[in-house]
Amino acid sequence: MPVSNTHRFLAAACPFIACCLFSMSTISLADERDQAKRMHDRIAGVPPSPAVLDDMAADILAGNAEDAAFTAMENTAFYDVTLKNLAAPWTNEAMTKFVPLNDYTATVIGLVRDDADFRTVLYGNVLYEADASLGLSGYSIQNNNHYEELENGGYSLKDNLVFVNQSTRNGIPAEATAGVMTSRAAAQAFMIDGTNRALFRFTVLNHLCDDMEQLNDTSLPSDRIRQDVSRSPGGDSRIFLNSCIGCHNGMDPLTQAFAYYNFEYDVDTDPEGVNGRMVYNDVGMIDTFTQSRVQKKYRINANNFEYGYVTEDDRWDNNWRQGRNQLLGWDGTLPGTGNGAKTMAQELAHSEAFASCQVKKVFNNVCLRNPVDEQDRNRIEVITSNFKASGYKLKQVFADSATYCMGE
Amino acid sequence: MNSMKFKTNSSKASLPSNAYFNAAQSFVKLRLAYALVITLSIFLSACGADSGAENLTKQNNNQADANSSDYKGPAAFSDDAQNFKRSLWDNIVLPGRCVECHSSDTENQSPLFADFANVNTAYTAANTIVNLNDPATSRMITKVENGHNCWLTSDSACVDILVRYIENWAGDSAGAATEIKLRAPQIKDPGATKTFPEDSSAFNTIIYEPILSKYCQTCHVEGIQTPYIASADIETAYNAAKSRIDLEVPAGSRLVGRLRNEFHNCWDGNCTTSSAEMEAAISTFVEGLTTESVDPDLVNSKALTLIGDGLVANAGGRFEDNIIALYEFKEGEGEDGLNITANDTSGIEPALNLSLSGNAEWVGGWGIKIGPAMTDPETNALLRNGKAQGSTSASAKLHDRIKATGEYTIETWVVPNNVSQEDARIITYSGSSESRNFTLSQSLYNYEVLHRSSTTDQNAVFATADADERLQASLQHVVVTFAPGQGRKIYVNGQFTGDVDPAEAGNFSEWDNSFAFVLGNETDGNSLWQGTIRMVAIHDRALNEAQITQNFEVGVGEKFFLLFSISHLIDSDDPNTADDFIVFQASQMDSFSYLFTEPYFISLNANPSLNNIPLKGLRLGINGKIAEVAQSFQTVDMVLDNSLYTNETGQPISRLGTLISLQKGGSEDEFFLSFEEIGSFTNVIVNAVPPSPAAPANSPAEPEIGLKTFDEVNASMSVMTGVASTDTKVKNTFDKVKQQLPSIENIGGFLSAHQMAITQLAIQYCDALVENTSLRSGFFPGFDFNENANTAFDTEGRDLIINPLLSKFIGSSLTSQPADADVITELNNLMDTLTSCANTTSCDAQRTGTTVKATCAAVLGSATTLVQ
Repeated sequence: MPVSNTHRFLAAACPFIACCLFSMSTISLADERDQAKRMHDRIAGVPPSPAVLDDMAADILAGNAEDAAFTAMENTAFYDVTLKNLAAPWTNEAMTKFVPLNDYTATVIGLVRDDADFRTVLYGNVLYEADASLGLSGYSIQNNNHYEELENGGYSLKDNLVFVNQSTRNGIPAEATAGVMTSRAAAQAFMIDGTNRALFRFTVLNHLCDDMEQLNDTSLPSDRIRQDVSRSPGGDSRIFLNSCIGCHNGMDPLTQAFAYYNFEYDVDTDPEGVNGRMVYNDVGMIDTFTQSRVQKKYRINANNFEYGYVTEDDRWDNNWRQGRNQLLGWDGTLPGTGNGAKTMAQELAHSEAFASCQVKKVFNNVCLRNPVDEQDRNRIEVITSNFKASGYKLKQVFADSATYCMGE
Repeated sequence: MNSMKFKTNSSKASLPSNAYFNAAQSFVKLRLAYALVITLSIFLSACGADSGAENLTKQNNNQADANSSDYKGPAAFSDDAQNFKRSLWDNIVLPGRCVECHSSDTENQSPLFADFANVNTAYTAANTIVNLNDPATSRMITKVENGHNCWLTSDSACVDILVRYIENWAGDSAGAATEIKLRAPQIKDPGATKTFPEDSSAFNTIIYEPILSKYCQTCHVEGIQTPYIASADIETAYNAAKSRIDLEVPAGSRLVGRLRNEFHNCWDGNCTTSSAEMEAAISTFVEGLTTESVDPDLVNSKALTLIGDGLVANAGGRFEDNIIALYEFKEGEGEDGLNITANDTSGIEPALNLSLSGNAEWVGGWGIKIGPAMTDPETNALLRNGKAQGSTSASAKLHDRIKATGEYTIETWVVPNNVSQEDARIITYSGSSESRNFTLSQSLYNYEVLHRSSTTDQNAVFATADADERLQASLQHVVVTFAPGQGRKIYVNGQFTGDVDPAEAGNFSEWDNSFAFVLGNETDGNSLWQGTIRMVAIHDRALNEAQITQNFEVGVGEKFFLLFSISHLIDSDDPNTADDFIVFQASQMDSFSYLFTEPYFISLNANPSLNNIPLKGLRLGINGKIAEVAQSFQTVDMVLDNSLYTNETGQPISRLGTLISLQKGGSEDEFFLSFEEIGSFTNVIVNAVPPSPAAPANSPAEPEIGLKTFDEVNASMSVMTGVASTDTKVKNTFDKVKQQLPSIENIGGFLSAHQMAITQLAIQYCDALVENTSLRSGFFPGFDFNENANTAFDTEGRDLIINPLLSKFIGSSLTSQPADADVITELNNLMDTLTSCANTTSCDAQRTGTTVKATCAAVLGSATTLVQ
């Protein structure tokens, strides 16, 4: 029967739907079966089969809620739905989930599945692609077809993602790879046009859970702020001294790590860069504008403030190791300075903020809410400790969060 | 020359500036006994004149033909004397100027450099008071600079005009860059100052408790909005507030300005009282502080003020051979704050002075700011859109000169307020919004040039390319040239934009001499441009690329060299001689800050002894304290050494520049340098560890349950029904309703639109389930889908449908799910409704399937699927 014929019956069905919705919203207590169902729903996004429900309930009853959580993570929907939609907003400036599967998302999923050190998501020579046995179009640095075919085919991401060294696919040297930051999706979203500051900002936003506004600290030295930042926007230098400087003094010397990267595309025929590609100026490759490896985008609008910083290389420095952003918890074993995206990304990924951010995101994803009180905040700290102790395995965070939020 | 000036009579205010000027000329004619009737009373006072009569003669170029033609004395006895006459003398013998006193036939005051009886006498006298190699240092100039009888309201305008006359006399040296000779300033220590006390208790009781914690705690606390000036932790709040409190000028505190000028979340709905309350609290706080000497731990240079101690660094070098109107806006608002005239200091008569009106104000560092109509916060008067406009008769100078040459250049330094304004006239010579001779305007990121020529109408538009985004909301040098055969060209920051004039280059035969020259708006006031104009020059020739680059590189605004003495810190030769300096070029950036750039070390001793002298952690200080923000040189870590030093250029320290917030003004703010290490002196600065943030306040409890989002709903339905999500119909429906399904889990965000999408998808899944004989027999084992609807749903048939739905969609023994009995009741009611058919036609087997689909969808599309 055509669907439209069935619409006649909706009027009769809808009161029932609303009734159930109302009645369920008042529920607050749960026994082990309800706890298992909630845990599975939250982790996998789908209801458990009766057998899995029984198994998880038994684990919970036996005091092994964590085992139950790991059981839920066996469901492919954990990868196909939960992790995909957790990571999808990180891959675009609009931060929407409504984007096709891409190499950034797939890499996040793969790292979680393989219990990898999740910090490498930012700096590893890592990429996950579809198993060749599926017969899909191969990975391309110039389009996203490979991943869209994988998603549209309904293939299990749990079963069909395979690890490869990113450098073997996107043509940049292994030492220039920086996990998802040098994925094609990130390049298309954040390296397109502009000054590459977007790549830094969104990485910090998505993986340290702070936007530039929260990190604003006007007390730091301003020597690395580039020439393109007007010191008197609209003729009012107060704006610079009170606002702009507080972000750029930290952001610009860190974003210098991306000085050799760009996203090339045909602005006339392909304005969204669907067929564009990330490029990297390796040793010996000279940009005609800068006469160095530095991309032109790092020298644009130089007359906005001619006495600003001129980028000569990809040396980065973390000014946030001074001032109030010390509280982000930088790794004391790292030097806080270096060259290139990989080491800068490692600086970010090895911070306390990175670890706690992953926990907050997963907590929110599983508990469907933010931490609201001291008990929640203490739990976040415990889960973060467990995350680190586990070798930064994100599944552990899902397990701990799901256990905490499975209900009483 | 005595101090009298022409008194303003009642007619002056009503006369346009050119009429005033021309009336002055007419007075001289009277003085010289030429037949001319004037009707207004005249008061004579030195170098100024006023009468109400319109004069007859139009001035030409920078030569006062009307007067020089009256000259009856001997001819100039040399070429240089002739140059003097043409360039300087002809202009200063204009009525109301120097001739009123410094001439043998007037007051006969020495020196007689404006002697109208004998130009050679004047030439000889002038040579004693001018420096042709450096006109700006001439005695004639410094005298006027110090207030000696300027014929305009602005001494600086007279100075600029006289300098230009002398430069023209100097000939080849005119316009050439001059070398600035550095000399030691007066040596003085940084003054005493007030500093923030270690103890936060005064801040707590005076500012924090009564204001910050009361009014700002909703936002400015940890986890919400920086700065955390209202943090529950008083130390955090104190540290955050310090950089926003000005101990020297409480009204200049950011905490006050944010309320008073930017209307940022004022309390009680009144920003005037809110800002006054904040200012009063800060003033009370400041009054309680004792003035203390500069922190003795600091290692400091000697101190300087910008205007008192700075060496003027404007070395000239602009190409201005064909300039016909020039505005540098040096006048400022004047001591009485009432000046509304921007003088044309080109020296080309008649002066095309501009009157500021509406929301147009002077800005520090030379410039005017044009703003939109507003109510004056002090007077409550309504100010119209700002502009600066010249009279039509004086503006005709542009018409006459440009029409004669057939070329022009519009040159300006501007700071657009934003990149969102359109049809915004920056500089225009026009009659109305529809008619013009030329216009430079802004359209978003583009500069536009409209002009009228024999080959165009009067609004021919030519703009920079959209994609180039040439226009930025920062200080930019913009030049438009027009020349026959080349058409219009636009240069931004010294670079040709590459845009090609679409109109054929014509001539200006169609130009109208009745138009007015206006900045920041159209003549009708309706095409406002918002921004700051730092300089405008009109040339009657098209500057070439080299000349444009030359002018761009000279820059704009008043610049100084500040020589910070460090002789007491290093020993390059004789420690008792103050000849070792760190030199900054400094200027006022705008009304709110100073710009310090390109520091270098230099010794005024020709042969300093520099032997690896460490220099580290250079910071700028102002009024006894290290500036809190924008220390761009604190990362300096170098040595001063003879191997890196030359007598000519010293040793560069940095090519960077930075800003320091203006506090009291260029005459009063006192600057100094501080060092972490210099020579044998050190002041180790340890990075402070920030206090741990206070725990955020508890938030209201949030719901423990939430919605499944779009993919979760889809995947759940697939799992529950066994229908693949890749099923063509299902996928098509999902793709269609995907963005109508919930995208976030928040159950408070549930909308009826979500339910409609869920229902559509549920129906599609149930349809796919029931239409697939294999799937449905597995899901509903034993149910006969071929039986008519009026018999298929007997008790047994209903059980065969309802029980699988209960077990597979709702689950068993789950207290969080609806009770089975409730669901069964609802589904029975539904099936009763759907199967109440009267005959076999309407109750055929197709209806049986339909009923199952509807029953399936009722459960699948319910909260059992949606809620998690």
